[in-house]
Order: sequence, then C-alpha cells, then structure tokens
Amino acid sequence: MISLRASEIGVSLGGARVLDGVSLELRPGWTAIVGPNGAGKSTLLRVLAGLLAPDAGEVQLEGVPLGAWSLPERARRIAWLTQQGSTTGDLTAREIVLLGRLPHLGIVASPGPADELAVDRAMEEAQCADWRDRRPQQLSGGERQRVLLARALAVEAPLLLLDEPTTHLDPPHQASLARLFRRRAAAGTAVVSVLHDLSLALVADRLVLLERGRVRAQGPTDDPALHAALVDAFEGAIRIERVAGRWAAFPHLEL
Amino acid sequence: MVRAARILFLAVLSTLALAGRAAHAKVTIRDDRGVTVSLDAPPRRIVTLLPSLTESVCAMGACDRLVGTDRFSNWPKSVEALPKLGGLDDAQVERIVALKPDVVLASVAARLMDRLESLGVRVMAFDARSRADVKRTLAALGQLLEAPGQADEVWAGVERDIRAAAARVPAAARGQRVYFEVDPTPYAAGPDSFIGETLRELGLRNALPAALGPFPKLNPEFVVRTQPDIVMGAEASVADMAGRPGWTALHALRDHRTCGLPLPTYELVVRPGPRMGEAAAALADCLARLPPPASTR
Amino acid sequence: MTSDAQRRLRLAVGLSIATALVAVAGMAAGGEGWSPARLLRDLGTADGRLLVFQIRAPRTLGAWLTGALLGLSGAAAQGLFRNPLADPYLLGSASGAVLGVVLVLAAAALGGHAISVATAHALARVGLVGAAFAGALVGVLLTLSLARGAQETMHLLLAGVVVGVLLTAASDLVTNAAPDALRGKQAFLLGSTGFLGWNSCAAMALGLAVTLPAAWRLARVLDALTLGTETAASLGLALGRLRVALVAVIALATGLAVSQAGLIAFVGLIAPHLVRRFAPARHGFTLVAGAAAGGTLLLIADVLARTLIAPQEVPVGILTALLGGGYLIWLLRKRRPA
Repeated sequence: MISLRASEIGVSLGGARVLDGVSLELRPGWTAIVGPNGAGKSTLLRVLAGLLAPDAGEVQLEGVPLGAWSLPERARRIAWLTQQGSTTGDLTAREIVLLGRLPHLGIVASPGPADELAVDRAMEEAQCADWRDRRPQQLSGGERQRVLLARALAVEAPLLLLDEPTTHLDPPHQASLARLFRRRAAAGTAVVSVLHDLSLALVADRLVLLERGRVRAQGPTDDPALHAALVDAFEGAIRIERVAGRWAAFPHLEL
Repeated sequence: MVRAARILFLAVLSTLALAGRAAHAKVTIRDDRGVTVSLDAPPRRIVTLLPSLTESVCAMGACDRLVGTDRFSNWPKSVEALPKLGGLDDAQVERIVALKPDVVLASVAARLMDRLESLGVRVMAFDARSRADVKRTLAALGQLLEAPGQADEVWAGVERDIRAAAARVPAAARGQRVYFEVDPTPYAAGPDSFIGETLRELGLRNALPAALGPFPKLNPEFVVRTQPDIVMGAEASVADMAGRPGWTALHALRDHRTCGLPLPTYELVVRPGPRMGEAAAALADCLARLPPPASTR
Repeated sequence: MTSDAQRRLRLAVGLSIATALVAVAGMAAGGEGWSPARLLRDLGTADGRLLVFQIRAPRTLGAWLTGALLGLSGAAAQGLFRNPLADPYLLGSASGAVLGVVLVLAAAALGGHAISVATAHALARVGLVGAAFAGALVGVLLTLSLARGAQETMHLLLAGVVVGVLLTAASDLVTNAAPDALRGKQAFLLGSTGFLGWNSCAAMALGLAVTLPAAWRLARVLDALTLGTETAASLGLALGRLRVALVAVIALATGLAVSQAGLIAFVGLIAPHLVRRFAPARHGFTLVAGAAAGGTLLLIADVLARTLIAPQEVPVGILTALLGGGYLIWLLRKRRPA
C-alpha cells in the first residue's frame, strides 16, 4: 500500500514563506488539495513529488525519506502532472504518452508489449486515443491536456500527483475524469489532485484546505467543519449545499 | 613720385611673392580612388596605415613627420616607438583623430576612410598590388611632401637594385616556373602582382596564369597539378607544405627547390614599397643557393 | 505506413541519393572546375590518380564528415536548449578554438626568435589542429563550470555567451600583441575544407563513430525535455548528469569539426532545422538525420566552392552562409500570410 507522508514542511521562495508547518498523509483514495490563489498548492505538490527540496521538515515515501530513494524508483511510484502543460518539439501524442514509461524503461531499453499496452490503456482512459498520430500543436487545449494526462497515467504509478488536471477540459470530460479518479482510487491508487473547481473537489474522498501556506483543515469531504472552513477561507464568497444527493459549491454573490 | 612708385613696386612685388608662395605651398593630389585631396602646406603630421606606406614615407626622408602607424609597421626601427593604431580593419578612429594628423595614408581597401573623412580628417588611399602602383604611390608622396626629385631617386634606386639582383640569378634558375605563396590558405602571387613582376625581372616564370589576377585564392589541387619548378613562401608555411594532402607529389618539395623565407625577409618581400630592391636581392640570394634541378625529367 | 514514417523514409532516401550524387560530382571537381573528362584522364595516369585519391577523395569525404559532426552537434544543441535557433557554437567551443589557434600562431611568431625553428615548425604542424580542439574543450569546460554544472539550461546558455565574449576578448588581446597571428586567425574564422586529407578523415570518422551512438542513446532525454524540465525530472532522469553528457557530446563533435576545418557557419544551425521541417520526429531520428543533412550540406558547399571560379576557390564559409541565409529568408517569406 502506497503512503506518502509530509511532516512540518516549510518552503521559502524569493523571501516569502510559501509553505509553513504543512503535515499530511496520503494513502490510497482520492484526495483533493484546494485553497485560494497563492495558497501554495503547486509548491506543495512539487515538494511531495521530490522536485523541490523543503528547507524544513521532510517527506517520507513508504516510511523512507524521499531523498533516499533512487530517481527511477521514485519515478515508478509517483507520477506528476504539471499545471503548465506546454510542449515543444515534434513528438506525436502517442510518443509523448510513451515517455510516461521512462521510469520503467530507462533511457536505452526499447518499449515492450507491456509498455505498449500501458500506453494504449492510458490513452483510452484519458480519451485521447483518436489522435495518437497528431502533434500537440495541432490539438486544442483540451485535447492536449488529455494527452499530457495520459502521459501521467501511463506511468502506472500507485501515487498520482496532478496539478489542475482539469485545465481546458469541458464538463463532460471533467466528469469522465472524475469517474476515472474514483475507479483508480477504489483500485488502490492514491490520486492527489490540486483543483480550483470546488464542486469537483467535493466529489473526492478527502479534502486538504491550504491557506497562506498552512493546512487550514483536512478530512473527509462531507465533514461540515471542513465546509465551514472552506467558506471562511474563500471569504464567504461561496456556499456549500447539498444538491441532488451530492455536495456542491456555488459562488455566493452579493449583488 | 619716385618714392610712391618704389612703394607701389614693392607692394606689387610682395603681393606677387605672397601669391607665388601661396600658389607654391598649396598641395593638391589625386589619390588612387580618384579623390582630390588638397592641403594648404605639405603635411607635417602624417599617419600611415600600411607598412609599405610607412616605409615609403621614410624612404622620402620624412620619417620624422610620422605621428602614428598601423600595428604591422616595423621598418625602420624608429617607427616601432610610434603609437600603433590597429590594422586596416580595426583602426582606432578616435586615436587617429586625437593625433590631429594633416593627412592619413591608407590602402584603397580600408573601410574606415569614410568615417575619418566625415570627421574632417584628410585621407589619401593608394593601391598596392603592382609595381606601377608602387611607382605611382612614390610619385604622389613626392608631390605631397614637395620632394618629387626624392621620389624619382628612390624609384631609380629600386629599379637599379632589382636589375643588380637579376644579374645574380644563376642561369639554371632562369625560365623556371615559380609558385609564390603569400598565405597558407592558399593565396598566391600572380604574374601581375608586384611580387610576380619582381620575379619576372629576376628571369623567372610564374606557375599561375595572369588571368587569375594578382592575388588569387587557389584550390590546393591546382598547385599540385601545375608542378611548379620552384616554391617560395614564408619559412613556416613552406615547412608545412609536405604535410598537406597530396603535396608530397610536388617535385619542387622533393628536390628541395624551395625558398622558405624567414619572417623579416618574408615581410620585406610582401611589402610593395621602397625596399622592393632589397626584396629582389633576397630572392636572388635564395635562388643562387638552390640545388640544381633534377636532371631526370 | 503513417505519413510521418513516409516523410522520414523519403528524407532518408533523398539525403542518401543527394550525398551519393554530390560526392561523385565532387570527384570530378578540381583545379579545372567541373570536368568528368578530366577525371577519367586522371584515373589513367599515376600523377592524376594521386590527385584524385590523395587530394580530392579525402577532401570530399572530409567535407561530409565535418558537416555531419556539425549537423549532429546542432541537432543536439537545439534539443538541449529547446530552441530551433541554437547552434553548436553556443557553449563556448568556437571562441575556445579560436583562442587556441591564436595562442599557437602567436607563440610561433613571438617565440620565433627564442625557440628553435624546428620547434616552431613542430608546434605549427601539430599545434593548430590540437590547439583548436583543446581550446574548444576548454571553452566548454569553462561554460560548464561557470554554469555550475548543467542544472539549468538558462544558466548554461548565459554562461556560454559570457565565456564566448571573454575568450574572444582574450584572442583579440593576443593578436594585438602578436599581429602576425591575425591573418591565421581570420583564415580560421572563415573556415576551409581545402586541406582535409586522409588523416583528418580518420580523426573525424572516429569522432563520429563515438559521438553519434552516444547522442542516439541520449535521444530519449531530449524527448523528455520537450515536456519541460520538471516533468522530465519526475520521470526519473538525473538531468544534471545527462545534460553534462549531452554537452560533452556536443563539445567533442564540434571541437573535432572546428579543429579540422575552422569555424564554418550555419551548417550546425540549418541542417537539423531542415530535417525537422521536412520530417518532424523524435530526437533519435532528428540527431542521425541532422548529421546526414549536415554532411550533405557542407559537401554541396565544398563542391560549389571548388567549381564556381576554378582554379580559384570561394571560401566555403561564405557558401554555407549563403545557402543557410537563403533558406532562412525563404522560411520567413513562407510564413508571412499571403
């Protein structure tokens, strides 16, 4: 069972304290990280992925400090998707997704049938199999995002750290993504997604609310105390209500 | 009445004399660009940007009027102490202007002429590719320095020295085809260059046809195919030639019929200036030292 | 076969045919311009055969090898910097090579009176090629150390620029002190395929045999880098070390090419560009095809250099600049909306 634990993480960037005393534990299931702009969500994800070294605290993967793992072993366990999904170069969609198998192949080995299968599956799940031979420059924002998502899925890592995976995606695709996450979570993957869309976040199993670099609250998605914290963190500009059997967040506009 | 006449006479005389001196002192020369440069008096402060021009000015006895030269000028010894102003391509314009020269002497190829002229500096440009160019340059300098007689003397000396050198060339070398390499790129001296003309005066033929111009950049293969009888160039270049692909086939290299000129001699030979006579003598000396041509051919 | 694969095949075939044709044409291009009749006559005499096999053949092959090394480095540099306008000289190799050449020329000139004539000759013979190569490597090492390893591509780029400026200034200082080095330096700057013999070919072939497979193995790293540095790192790549390996390949290939033929412009920039325009692909293909395209390009330039004003030669660097510049202009005009 995969587990990632962050203890008292602190990060300063450019003189500002971006994260302070952040502690959380990630296990199989779908965790959504939310918070107002500038709360430090992307930075936290980078620290969890081992891409940024914190200046305080530590991250442990399955009980072992992150730094003690070799890079390929870490990469096989943690798949990371960046918020800024830009691509340069001339790779086709399928070739991009195939790069997701790097943690397993290394730089020299040729892809085998298992890798091809993983790529095909990932593209099916992310619904981008139709344009496997097209290049990102020829795709729309949403189509490109699905290719990049497929790349992360192709790693077949037990822990997914996804920064704004729903960028550019229209509601039907967001919905199918949510279903994908639930399926994966139920099957034992730890899906961690930073989401700005609170309604989508409320579909997850657990919520972590980050505010000004600190964990304001965390817990199961249907916890009323969590909801209250959410509303307060967003300065009362949202309302959380039960709609059609599920929690949803609405903008609360005083007009 | 007589007094008035005498005063008038003196006034007319002095006016004439003054006018005469002004007409006598104003110097007007056409340089090789066709530009006419005129100075109120022969220049007292001269900057030269080509070693051959430096040497020409000194040969005319006006060495003391030089206030600055290019970095390559090194003859006579006294010019080494003068401020060095860069080469033709990167001359230091500000420093030149700061020296307040009456005239700057450069080669036609210099880029900075427009810049200097726009700053009010007088520039005279001279071609330096053939013997006629050298003679013309000396004559122009003679006019500039108001010493035309000196210019004629210098040129006569050059021609005399070349003829004397020609007399020393051994009969075996006469009529032989020579390849003179100016630069290891390779650039060579064609028959119409001043070097080619000197070689002709010395009784040699040029391995290059005249059609290629004075200083062509050659395909190295051409040199091997043409099989010159004698090879000349800077010592270091000639020593390297055997290492060039295919050049071991050159008979001249195999038979050691080469003139590898040490640096000072090489500089002497490639400057189209007043020392061309000395250059001819140096070449004649080398030719005299050459081993005889291989009889089997 | 997908259209992509078709284009790759067409490019490969096209380059092979073009190379073969131009190489054969090159064998007929000599001191008398382009003359197949002359070639046949030459093959009949011992002297002629020497010309063809000792001068023309190695020069033709050498031009291709030089171009291949430059094309390979260019493709690798463009991948490393993720910039289609990067060229292999960006890492300080060019300025380092020039400084090496200038130092040897100046030593021969300055020390000409102090050191023996024989030493000066030996220095000059081995020195120029060796100095250029060593200088290129030193230049890149300086860039790497200034950038403190290759952790950040931007640092590498900036360091390369700084090193380039510094080493160029150093060359200028040396030529100021020893003006006789200036002519040699300018000849080196322009580049020349004129004296490539079998020794040069052997050295470059060896270099290509080492750098091409090494670059090919690193191709996947370049592919991963197209997703961004952080994503590439998250895929388990030790980017610092791998970038240094790429820089080493670029330095070696560029250093070899430059030490044999001087600073020939545009080949490293244009060849990979051409390949990507015609057949976009993963870096595994682009690197190899870039090398092939570079070889073909320089080969064409060399044959033209020998043929156009025979027996005189156009400096090959001018032709590559014309071909390269012309291609860039055509590219710009094509992009403008009608």
